[in-house]
Amino acid sequence: MNSNFHWRPVLRALPDLIQAAFVTLEVAALSMLIGVVLGLALAMARDFTAPAAAPARWLAVAWVALARNTPALFQLYFFGFGLGAWGINMSPLAIVLAGLSFNNAGYLAETFRGGFRAVPAAQMRAALSLGMTRMQAMTRIVVPQVLRAVWHPLTNQMVWAVLMSSLGMLVGLHELAGETQAQASRTFRIFEYFAVAAVIYYVVVKLLVLGARLMAWRLFRGWSPA
Amino acid sequence: MSNTVTYFTGFRGADLLFLAEAAWGTLKLSALSIAVGTALGVGLGWMLAELRATRPILVPLLDVFRSVPLIIQLVLFFNFVPMIGLGLSPFAAGCVVLSAYAAALVAQVARAGIESVGRPLRRAARSLGMSYGQAMRHVVLPMGLRTVFPAWVGIVLGVMKDSSLVSVLGYVELLRASQILITRTQEALFVLGVAGAFYFLLSWPVSWWAARHEKRWQQ
Amino acid sequence: MKRILLAAAISLAGSVTALADTLDDVIDRSTLRCGVVLDFPPIGFRDQNNEPTGFDVEYCKDLAAALDVEVEIIPVTWAERLPLIVTGRGDVVFGATSDTLERAKTVGFSIPYAVYFAQMVVNKNSGITSFEDLRGKKIAAAVGTVPEQEWLKIAKQWGEEGNYQGYQSENEVFLAVAQGKADAGITTNTAVPAVVAKFDTLETGPRMPWQADYTSVVGPRHDVTWLNYLNLFVSRQVRSGRYAELWRKYVGAMHPT
Repeated sequence: MNSNFHWRPVLRALPDLIQAAFVTLEVAALSMLIGVVLGLALAMARDFTAPAAAPARWLAVAWVALARNTPALFQLYFFGFGLGAWGINMSPLAIVLAGLSFNNAGYLAETFRGGFRAVPAAQMRAALSLGMTRMQAMTRIVVPQVLRAVWHPLTNQMVWAVLMSSLGMLVGLHELAGETQAQASRTFRIFEYFAVAAVIYYVVVKLLVLGARLMAWRLFRGWSPA
Repeated sequence: MSNTVTYFTGFRGADLLFLAEAAWGTLKLSALSIAVGTALGVGLGWMLAELRATRPILVPLLDVFRSVPLIIQLVLFFNFVPMIGLGLSPFAAGCVVLSAYAAALVAQVARAGIESVGRPLRRAARSLGMSYGQAMRHVVLPMGLRTVFPAWVGIVLGVMKDSSLVSVLGYVELLRASQILITRTQEALFVLGVAGAFYFLLSWPVSWWAARHEKRWQQ
Repeated sequence: MKRILLAAAISLAGSVTALADTLDDVIDRSTLRCGVVLDFPPIGFRDQNNEPTGFDVEYCKDLAAALDVEVEIIPVTWAERLPLIVTGRGDVVFGATSDTLERAKTVGFSIPYAVYFAQMVVNKNSGITSFEDLRGKKIAAAVGTVPEQEWLKIAKQWGEEGNYQGYQSENEVFLAVAQGKADAGITTNTAVPAVVAKFDTLETGPRMPWQADYTSVVGPRHDVTWLNYLNLFVSRQVRSGRYAELWRKYVGAMHPT
């Protein structure tokens, strides 16, 4: 059994790995941004009642069901080689972004639906009766409360996006996991490289959670708990 | 170039069976991991809620499983086990990692479930003459279960989908089987479509049933 | 003193039996655990019943037959070949593994058993006919292979590392080129005819300028008795005519020069 650890090559590769960790963060953040926009649209589309909007509603229902009931890796493969069969070719970065955004949107749609339900419609009417415009009522009364209700799930989804972006290594993206694999395959010191990658992921996730908590404190401290 | 051997062959009816067998593999892997993970997680959750002294150790430890990508956990464990002289099949290694991962998630949920039943209520149960075990079983369990049931179903479905990652260890579950078929038939879209349908059939009924159940419980 | 020597002798004997080599392990286990890359037609692939077959698979079976044990085929990706040996999950790997000095720091190699040339498969629309045409093109190869490393050296000289795409398997390389994700993919001369025949959008590309790939059977680095056995096996496969027979069956013409 060859159980001698060789850490030196890993330490030499550390700058590359840390650089790749920033790619991971970028991909995760971007996919969250797209996911939030699409998720909001899906959440609203699902509650359309007009018969003319039925196709949009069904699209939203199907999107959410597919995103939540198939593995993220499957979704990546689909955007990668599945769509490639139709001649739609995306770079590894685009594949991961599309896959993660698709997945994020499906989960966030449900989160936002819950968030909007957390604000009773009566508050809107009350705000209007106090002389606020619709816009004012939205930005000052409804949205802050929704934001607070979805803040925690949003943070979770961001962490989830960071973790999921590691699947990029299976479609050729050199984010943290992909870079780790590329480096490890040169020396075949798999364990050492992935152990270091695990530590970097842990630190990144912890920093994210901490940052989200600090931001929540800044954003919501004026608010008394409901 | 000899023509006696064909390297690429088209999709056949028997390949559906191949995928179905692999879906069964996915089901076995996830069911076992969820069972072990839930049992372990409930125990850990109980310790977190009731034995405060365990928190400084357990909380950061369980945190690791939730802060490191599962795929990295799998690769690490699979490459570590032989170093200590053990041989584990991809299935067994996948099971261990998925179980630990599920346990870490369930522990958090179980703890929340126990803590959701307020101390006054539990004290009231105890003052009615119930033993600790009785209070747990007749008061905390039924009430806590209701609050955490949706979250637990979420974990179950999550683990089922995440079992697809065990494909990187070489275990032939649904996703690996579809890759094998894509290699042979070169019909990526079709094979992926069938595999996706299998996943959907495994996952969607459970989430639909859980959503209905949740509604009924909330009423 | 005598007693101490005796104790030392006994413990030494004990440690000797504990260090039984792979050859003994395989015979005791009655199973040869053999790693093969199965997305590398015609060397390793799956038949229409999804059973492993190909040149390397036959070699596994021949080795098992020589040892009079059962064979367990372990499908691996390119990048998993050496870890399979390092972690002891497999006894031997037949996986077109180039015998580089870098890898020999980690695993042991037999004498070479097959020779390959790196060759491109190119997308018909790419307009690539010569090696120089590859400048500025998107090139795909499988992660953890020698062609990948060789290409990255050239790409670095050209300042085109950004155009490289690494995939998990040979098959994903073919798909990527066929679908147009990449303009050209690096594979071996043995795979090119089969792949080009399968995909309408692919055609045979240029040979790569680096030297031929001598590939060896892989075993644990420290296990010299096992590597000796593998050497003998490789040599006898050639002498018995089995090598020529299998190469002709799966690859076609005798190895190109």
